[in-house]
Amino acid sequence: MSETKNPLTPEVKAIIGLAAEKVEASPPWGIEREGLRIFTNAIMDPDPRYWDDEFAKTTKFGGIVTPPIYCSYIGRKTLAGVEDPITRAFRENPNSDGIGGVREGGPDSKGTLPPIPTPLKRILNAGNEIEVYKYPALGDHIYSQASYHDVKGRVTKDGTAMLVVTIQTTYTNQNDDVLCILRQSTIRR
Amino acid sequence: MVTADELRNKTQLYYDDVQVGQEMPPLVIGPMTPTHLFRWSAAIENWHRIHYDQSFAIYHDGLPNILGQGSWKQSILPRYLKDICLPDGWPWKVQFQHRAMIVPGDTITVWAKVTGKREADGLGLIDMDVGMRLQYDAESCPGTATIVLPIRGGRAIPYPFVAPKGA
Repeated sequence: MSETKNPLTPEVKAIIGLAAEKVEASPPWGIEREGLRIFTNAIMDPDPRYWDDEFAKTTKFGGIVTPPIYCSYIGRKTLAGVEDPITRAFRENPNSDGIGGVREGGPDSKGTLPPIPTPLKRILNAGNEIEVYKYPALGDHIYSQASYHDVKGRVTKDGTAMLVVTIQTTYTNQNDDVLCILRQSTIRR
Repeated sequence: MVTADELRNKTQLYYDDVQVGQEMPPLVIGPMTPTHLFRWSAAIENWHRIHYDQSFAIYHDGLPNILGQGSWKQSILPRYLKDICLPDGWPWKVQFQHRAMIVPGDTITVWAKVTGKREADGLGLIDMDVGMRLQYDAESCPGTATIVLPIRGGRAIPYPFVAPKGA
Protein backbone atom coordinates (compact mmCIF):
# COMPACT_ATOMS: atom_id res chain seq x y z
CA MET A 1 0.00 0.00 0.00
CA SER A 2 1.45 3.35 -0.97
CA GLU A 3 1.91 5.98 1.72
CA THR A 4 -0.17 9.17 1.36
CA LYS A 5 2.05 12.11 0.55
CA ASN A 6 1.78 15.45 2.28
CA PRO A 7 -0.22 17.61 -0.15
CA LEU A 8 1.90 20.67 0.61
CA THR A 9 3.88 20.41 -2.60
CA PRO A 10 6.39 23.05 -3.73
CA GLU A 11 3.73 24.31 -6.17
CA VAL A 12 1.25 24.79 -3.33
CA LYS A 13 3.87 26.40 -1.08
CA ALA A 14 4.64 28.86 -3.84
CA ILE A 15 1.20 30.49 -3.55
CA ILE A 16 1.76 31.60 0.06
CA GLY A 17 1.92 35.38 0.02
CA LEU A 18 0.39 35.62 -3.44
CA ALA A 19 -2.01 38.58 -3.59
CA ALA A 20 -4.93 39.23 -5.90
CA GLU A 21 -5.61 42.54 -7.55
CA LYS A 22 -6.90 45.25 -5.23
CA VAL A 23 -10.43 46.07 -6.34
CA GLU A 24 -13.25 48.37 -5.35
CA ALA A 25 -15.73 46.41 -3.25
CA SER A 26 -18.30 49.16 -2.85
CA PRO A 27 -20.73 50.16 -5.59
CA PRO A 28 -19.72 53.18 -7.72
CA TRP A 29 -21.66 55.50 -5.38
CA GLY A 30 -19.91 54.22 -2.24
CA ILE A 31 -21.46 53.42 1.12
CA GLU A 32 -25.11 54.50 1.16
CA ARG A 33 -28.00 54.54 3.60
CA GLU A 34 -30.40 52.08 1.98
CA GLY A 35 -27.86 49.26 1.80
CA LEU A 36 -26.92 50.01 5.38
CA ARG A 37 -30.57 49.91 6.50
CA ILE A 38 -31.16 46.55 4.83
CA PHE A 39 -28.00 45.09 6.36
CA THR A 40 -28.52 46.35 9.91
CA ASN A 41 -32.09 45.03 9.89
CA ALA A 42 -30.78 41.63 8.83
CA ILE A 43 -28.38 41.50 11.79
CA MET A 44 -31.13 42.93 14.01
CA ASP A 45 -28.94 45.79 15.20
CA PRO A 46 -30.98 48.95 15.94
CA ASP A 47 -27.91 51.04 16.83
CA PRO A 48 -28.69 54.73 16.09
CA ARG A 49 -25.07 55.21 14.98
CA TYR A 50 -26.24 53.63 11.70
CA TRP A 51 -29.24 55.86 10.98
CA ASP A 52 -29.63 58.86 13.31
CA ASP A 53 -27.57 61.72 11.87
CA GLU A 54 -27.98 64.07 14.81
CA PHE A 55 -26.97 61.44 17.35
CA ALA A 56 -24.16 60.07 15.21
CA LYS A 57 -22.60 63.54 15.00
CA THR A 58 -22.19 63.51 18.78
CA THR A 59 -20.30 60.21 18.85
CA LYS A 60 -16.56 59.69 18.50
CA PHE A 61 -17.17 58.76 14.87
CA GLY A 62 -18.61 62.18 14.00
CA GLY A 63 -21.35 60.82 11.75
CA ILE A 64 -23.15 57.75 10.49
CA VAL A 65 -20.96 54.63 10.36
CA THR A 66 -21.52 51.00 9.42
CA PRO A 67 -21.33 47.79 11.48
CA PRO A 68 -17.80 46.46 12.07
CA ILE A 69 -17.41 44.21 9.01
CA TYR A 70 -20.18 45.57 6.78
CA CYS A 71 -17.62 46.34 4.12
CA SER A 72 -16.87 42.64 3.67
CA TYR A 73 -20.37 41.97 2.30
CA ILE A 74 -20.90 44.76 -0.21
CA GLY A 75 -18.69 43.34 -2.95
CA ARG A 76 -20.99 40.36 -3.47
CA LYS A 77 -23.82 42.31 -5.02
CA THR A 78 -24.89 42.32 -8.63
CA LEU A 79 -24.47 45.71 -10.24
CA ALA A 80 -27.24 47.23 -12.35
CA GLY A 81 -27.15 46.66 -16.08
CA VAL A 82 -25.36 43.30 -16.14
CA GLU A 83 -26.87 40.04 -17.34
CA ASP A 84 -29.00 38.58 -14.55
CA PRO A 85 -26.66 36.00 -12.97
CA ILE A 86 -29.49 33.91 -11.47
CA THR A 87 -31.27 33.48 -14.80
CA ARG A 88 -27.95 32.63 -16.44
CA ALA A 89 -27.00 30.09 -13.77
CA PHE A 90 -30.32 28.22 -13.96
CA ARG A 91 -30.36 28.32 -17.75
CA GLU A 92 -26.98 26.61 -17.75
CA ASN A 93 -27.89 24.21 -14.92
CA PRO A 94 -31.55 23.84 -13.90
CA ASN A 95 -30.35 22.16 -10.69
CA SER A 96 -27.98 24.97 -9.72
CA ASP A 97 -27.41 25.21 -5.99
CA GLY A 98 -27.65 28.99 -6.27
CA ILE A 99 -23.90 29.45 -5.90
CA GLY A 100 -22.35 27.57 -8.80
CA GLY A 101 -22.73 29.55 -11.96
CA VAL A 102 -24.22 32.56 -10.21
CA ARG A 103 -21.02 34.18 -9.10
CA GLU A 104 -18.80 33.25 -12.01
CA GLY A 105 -18.49 36.22 -14.28
CA GLY A 106 -20.23 38.40 -11.73
CA PRO A 107 -18.84 40.96 -9.33
CA ASP A 108 -17.23 38.23 -7.21
CA SER A 109 -14.84 37.38 -10.02
CA LYS A 110 -13.08 40.70 -9.50
CA GLY A 111 -9.98 40.47 -7.41
CA THR A 112 -10.15 36.71 -6.95
CA LEU A 113 -7.11 34.59 -6.22
CA PRO A 114 -5.87 31.97 -8.67
CA PRO A 115 -6.91 28.39 -7.84
CA ILE A 116 -4.68 26.28 -5.62
CA PRO A 117 -2.79 23.65 -7.64
CA THR A 118 -4.12 20.64 -5.74
CA PRO A 119 -6.40 17.73 -6.55
CA LEU A 120 -8.09 18.19 -3.13
CA LYS A 121 -11.46 19.69 -3.98
CA ARG A 122 -13.78 19.23 -0.98
CA ILE A 123 -13.85 22.45 1.04
CA LEU A 124 -14.85 22.81 4.69
CA ASN A 125 -14.90 26.03 6.69
CA ALA A 126 -12.31 25.82 9.46
CA GLY A 127 -12.73 29.21 11.08
CA ASN A 128 -12.54 32.96 10.84
CA GLU A 129 -10.38 35.70 12.33
CA ILE A 130 -11.42 39.34 12.26
CA GLU A 131 -9.51 42.49 13.19
CA VAL A 132 -11.36 45.81 13.16
CA TYR A 133 -9.70 49.23 12.93
CA LYS A 134 -12.20 51.71 11.54
CA TYR A 135 -15.84 51.82 10.51
CA PRO A 136 -16.73 52.98 7.00
CA ALA A 137 -18.74 56.19 6.80
CA LEU A 138 -21.45 57.21 4.34
CA GLY A 139 -19.97 57.97 0.93
CA ASP A 140 -16.77 56.03 1.57
CA HIS A 141 -15.39 53.90 -1.23
CA ILE A 142 -14.19 50.52 -0.07
CA TYR A 143 -11.39 48.47 -1.59
CA SER A 144 -10.46 44.87 -0.90
CA GLN A 145 -7.38 42.80 -1.54
CA ALA A 146 -7.14 39.07 -0.93
CA SER A 147 -3.98 37.05 -0.46
CA TYR A 148 -2.96 33.52 0.43
CA HIS A 149 -1.86 34.15 4.02
CA ASP A 150 -0.83 30.60 4.88
CA VAL A 151 -1.17 27.02 3.71
CA LYS A 152 -0.43 24.00 5.86
CA GLY A 153 -0.38 20.38 4.73
CA ARG A 154 -1.26 17.34 6.82
CA VAL A 155 -1.84 13.64 6.53
CA THR A 156 -4.19 12.33 9.20
CA LYS A 157 -3.67 9.01 11.03
CA ASP A 158 -6.14 7.33 8.67
CA GLY A 159 -4.09 8.52 5.70
CA THR A 160 -6.31 11.39 4.56
CA ALA A 161 -4.40 14.23 2.93
CA MET A 162 -5.56 17.74 3.68
CA LEU A 163 -4.58 21.32 3.24
CA VAL A 164 -5.52 24.11 5.64
CA VAL A 165 -5.69 27.26 3.53
CA THR A 166 -5.94 30.71 5.10
CA ILE A 167 -6.99 33.59 2.87
CA GLN A 168 -6.56 37.10 4.22
CA THR A 169 -8.66 39.94 2.87
CA THR A 170 -7.79 43.51 3.79
CA TYR A 171 -10.43 46.22 3.41
CA THR A 172 -9.36 49.84 2.99
CA ASN A 173 -11.11 53.10 2.19
CA GLN A 174 -10.38 55.79 -0.39
CA ASN A 175 -7.66 57.22 1.90
CA ASP A 176 -6.01 53.81 2.22
CA ASP A 177 -7.03 53.58 5.89
CA VAL A 178 -7.28 49.94 6.94
CA LEU A 179 -10.88 49.25 8.00
CA CYS A 180 -10.73 45.57 8.85
CA ILE A 181 -8.79 42.42 8.10
CA LEU A 182 -10.54 39.08 7.68
CA ARG A 183 -8.82 35.70 7.59
CA GLN A 184 -10.82 32.69 6.59
CA SER A 185 -9.38 29.22 6.94
CA THR A 186 -10.71 26.30 4.95
CA ILE A 187 -9.82 22.63 4.95
CA ARG A 188 -9.34 21.01 1.54
CA ARG A 189 -9.46 17.24 1.43
CA MET B 1 -32.95 42.06 22.07
CA VAL B 2 -31.28 45.37 22.79
CA THR B 3 -33.16 48.53 21.78
CA ALA B 4 -31.98 51.63 19.94
CA ASP B 5 -32.38 53.74 23.08
CA GLU B 6 -30.34 51.31 25.15
CA LEU B 7 -27.50 51.61 22.62
CA ARG B 8 -27.91 55.38 22.42
CA ASN B 9 -27.67 55.78 26.19
CA LYS B 10 -25.31 52.94 27.03
CA THR B 11 -23.03 53.55 29.98
CA GLN B 12 -19.35 52.90 29.42
CA LEU B 13 -17.87 49.72 30.83
CA TYR B 14 -14.36 50.47 32.15
CA TYR B 15 -11.35 48.19 32.17
CA ASP B 16 -10.99 48.81 35.90
CA ASP B 17 -14.41 47.30 36.61
CA VAL B 18 -13.97 44.05 34.69
CA GLN B 19 -12.91 40.89 36.54
CA VAL B 20 -11.46 37.68 35.17
CA GLY B 21 -14.27 35.11 35.10
CA GLN B 22 -16.93 37.77 34.61
CA GLU B 23 -19.70 36.98 32.16
CA MET B 24 -20.79 39.81 29.90
CA PRO B 25 -24.54 40.45 29.42
CA PRO B 26 -25.71 38.01 26.73
CA LEU B 27 -27.53 38.91 23.52
CA VAL B 28 -30.46 36.58 22.86
CA ILE B 29 -31.65 36.27 19.26
CA GLY B 30 -34.60 34.24 18.05
CA PRO B 31 -36.31 31.91 17.73
CA MET B 32 -34.94 32.06 14.21
CA THR B 33 -37.42 31.56 11.37
CA PRO B 34 -37.06 30.86 7.64
CA THR B 35 -37.92 34.53 7.15
CA HIS B 36 -34.90 35.67 9.18
CA LEU B 37 -32.67 33.43 7.08
CA PHE B 38 -34.18 34.59 3.82
CA ARG B 39 -33.80 38.24 4.84
CA TRP B 40 -30.07 37.71 5.35
CA SER B 41 -29.67 35.91 2.01
CA ALA B 42 -31.44 38.77 0.25
CA ALA B 43 -29.51 41.45 2.15
CA ILE B 44 -26.13 40.18 1.03
CA GLU B 45 -27.31 38.49 -2.18
CA ASN B 46 -26.18 35.03 -1.13
CA TRP B 47 -28.40 32.80 -3.26
CA HIS B 48 -27.21 29.43 -1.97
CA ARG B 49 -30.45 27.44 -1.84
CA ILE B 50 -29.60 25.56 1.36
CA HIS B 51 -30.49 28.77 3.22
CA TYR B 52 -34.05 29.29 1.93
CA ASP B 53 -35.18 26.34 -0.23
CA GLN B 54 -36.24 23.64 2.21
CA SER B 55 -36.79 20.92 -0.41
CA PHE B 56 -33.34 21.54 -1.85
CA ALA B 57 -31.69 21.57 1.58
CA ILE B 58 -33.30 18.31 2.70
CA TYR B 59 -33.66 16.23 -0.46
CA HIS B 60 -30.65 17.43 -2.44
CA ASP B 61 -28.08 18.20 0.24
CA GLY B 62 -29.35 15.80 2.93
CA LEU B 63 -29.53 18.52 5.56
CA PRO B 64 -32.00 18.51 8.47
CA ASN B 65 -33.54 21.81 7.35
CA ILE B 66 -32.50 25.09 5.75
CA LEU B 67 -29.38 26.37 7.52
CA GLY B 68 -28.46 29.64 9.15
CA GLN B 69 -25.65 31.30 7.22
CA GLY B 70 -22.06 31.26 8.43
CA SER B 71 -21.74 34.78 7.05
CA TRP B 72 -24.56 35.91 9.35
CA LYS B 73 -22.86 34.39 12.38
CA GLN B 74 -19.64 36.08 11.29
CA SER B 75 -21.36 39.45 11.54
CA ILE B 76 -23.22 38.80 14.80
CA LEU B 77 -20.16 38.26 16.99
CA PRO B 78 -18.49 41.61 16.05
CA ARG B 79 -21.86 43.32 16.48
CA TYR B 80 -22.17 41.86 20.01
CA LEU B 81 -18.63 42.91 20.92
CA LYS B 82 -19.34 46.39 19.57
CA ASP B 83 -22.34 46.66 21.89
CA ILE B 84 -20.22 45.68 24.91
CA CYS B 85 -17.64 48.33 24.04
CA LEU B 86 -19.96 51.27 23.37
CA PRO B 87 -19.59 54.17 23.52
CA ASP B 88 -15.80 54.57 23.62
CA GLY B 89 -14.26 51.08 23.72
CA TRP B 90 -13.18 49.11 20.67
CA PRO B 91 -14.08 45.55 19.48
CA TRP B 92 -10.59 44.81 18.20
CA LYS B 93 -10.27 41.10 17.45
CA VAL B 94 -12.35 37.97 17.32
CA GLN B 95 -11.71 34.48 16.01
CA PHE B 96 -14.12 31.58 15.94
CA GLN B 97 -15.04 28.28 14.35
CA HIS B 98 -18.32 27.12 12.86
CA ARG B 99 -19.74 24.17 14.82
CA ALA B 100 -23.41 23.37 15.49
CA MET B 101 -25.74 24.27 12.63
CA ILE B 102 -28.41 26.91 13.17
CA VAL B 103 -31.85 25.94 11.84
CA PRO B 104 -35.32 27.54 12.09
CA GLY B 105 -36.66 27.27 15.62
CA ASP B 106 -33.26 27.82 17.24
CA THR B 107 -32.77 30.53 19.83
CA ILE B 108 -29.22 31.84 20.00
CA THR B 109 -27.50 33.23 23.06
CA VAL B 110 -24.42 35.23 22.15
CA TRP B 111 -22.08 35.23 25.12
CA ALA B 112 -18.64 36.28 26.34
CA LYS B 113 -16.66 35.38 29.45
CA VAL B 114 -13.52 37.22 30.53
CA THR B 115 -10.40 35.03 30.58
CA GLY B 116 -7.77 37.71 31.13
CA LYS B 117 -7.02 41.42 31.32
CA ARG B 118 -3.84 43.30 30.59
CA GLU B 119 -2.61 46.80 29.93
CA ALA B 120 -0.64 47.59 26.79
CA ASP B 121 0.54 51.00 25.65
CA GLY B 122 -1.86 52.64 28.09
CA LEU B 123 -4.89 50.74 26.84
CA GLY B 124 -6.99 48.18 28.71
CA LEU B 125 -7.24 44.87 26.86
CA ILE B 126 -9.84 42.30 27.84
CA ASP B 127 -9.46 38.73 26.57
CA MET B 128 -12.62 36.65 26.41
CA ASP B 129 -14.02 33.32 25.36
CA VAL B 130 -17.03 33.95 23.13
CA GLY B 131 -19.67 31.95 21.39
CA MET B 132 -23.22 31.50 20.16
CA ARG B 133 -24.99 28.90 22.26
CA LEU B 134 -28.17 27.22 21.07
CA GLN B 135 -31.18 26.45 23.28
CA TYR B 136 -30.07 22.83 23.75
CA ASP B 137 -26.61 23.95 24.95
CA ALA B 138 -24.78 23.14 21.70
CA GLU B 139 -22.13 25.69 20.77
CA SER B 140 -22.46 27.06 17.26
CA CYS B 141 -19.53 29.45 17.16
CA PRO B 142 -16.83 28.93 19.81
CA GLY B 143 -13.98 31.39 19.78
CA THR B 144 -11.94 34.04 21.52
CA ALA B 145 -11.94 37.82 21.38
CA THR B 146 -9.97 40.81 22.57
CA ILE B 147 -11.76 44.08 23.22
CA VAL B 148 -10.29 47.36 24.38
CA LEU B 149 -11.93 49.32 27.19
CA PRO B 150 -11.04 52.73 28.58
CA ILE B 151 -9.02 52.87 31.78
CA ARG B 152 -10.32 55.42 34.29
CA GLY B 153 -8.01 58.43 34.06
CA GLY B 154 -6.17 56.80 31.16
CA ARG B 155 -5.73 57.88 27.57
CA ALA B 156 -8.57 57.81 25.09
CA ILE B 157 -8.77 54.79 22.82
CA PRO B 158 -7.63 56.06 19.41
CA TYR B 159 -10.03 56.18 16.50
CA PRO B 160 -9.19 54.84 13.97
CA PHE B 161 -7.95 52.15 16.29
CA VAL B 162 -4.22 51.62 16.46
CA ALA B 163 -3.06 48.27 17.82
CA PRO B 164 -1.09 48.86 21.02
CA LYS B 165 2.58 48.05 21.00
CA GLY B 166 3.35 44.74 22.62
CA ALA B 167 -0.21 43.42 22.49
